[in-house]
Amino acid sequence: MNRRTTLLIAAEALAWWCALAALWLVLISTVDTLELVVGASAAGVAALAATAARRVVSAR
Amino acid sequence: MNGWILAATVALGAGVGTALWGVATGPLRRRVVAQNMSTALVCPALLLLSQGYTRPSYVDLALVLALLGPVGTLVFARLLADELADDPPRAWGVTWAVAGFGAVVVGVVSAATGPSRAMVKLLVIGALLIGGNVVASRALSGGFRGVGRG
Repeated sequence: MNRRTTLLIAAEALAWWCALAALWLVLISTVDTLELVVGASAAGVAALAATAARRVVSAR
Repeated sequence: MNGWILAATVALGAGVGTALWGVATGPLRRRVVAQNMSTALVCPALLLLSQGYTRPSYVDLALVLALLGPVGTLVFARLLADELADDPPRAWGVTWAVAGFGAVVVGVVSAATGPSRAMVKLLVIGALLIGGNVVASRALSGGFRGVGRG
């Protein structure tokens, strides 16, 4: 894995995180600090999983 | 009884009633399409009911249904792939009519909600509902035959 691929993966994970965090923000009922912390963490885990899953599927 | 509840009653009575009749009778190709249409009609009806009773929690039910309805249809499309390949359903008229009904309901309820996070949520539900049902209809009519069966 060279520097370029690492950067691409990081950019993809970041894009997933932005989209998923925005989705969380839209779907919750009240916006407070705890919700934001939990949403950011959940979006982080989901972004890593989505990046990994997409790479596996496109490498097939 | 207000206009929202009346519209939801008509959608549930006429739409879902017809869909249930289609699921219960006729050849397989009609039953799978009617099964797909039933969730696509209940979801807008739930949005109308949430507006009619001013209960935002009904919107969550619509979200779950918009997500799981097409997924359920994809399971049927996969399990019945061999039977459907002999006699594939062609129901694009019904699919687009129900998708149009969903779009109108989401548009009207969004307009009544006004620009807010709740409106974005409604638009997300509408996109999931219409996109999911078009994809599910395509899968039923054999549009993804190239996809491997695992």
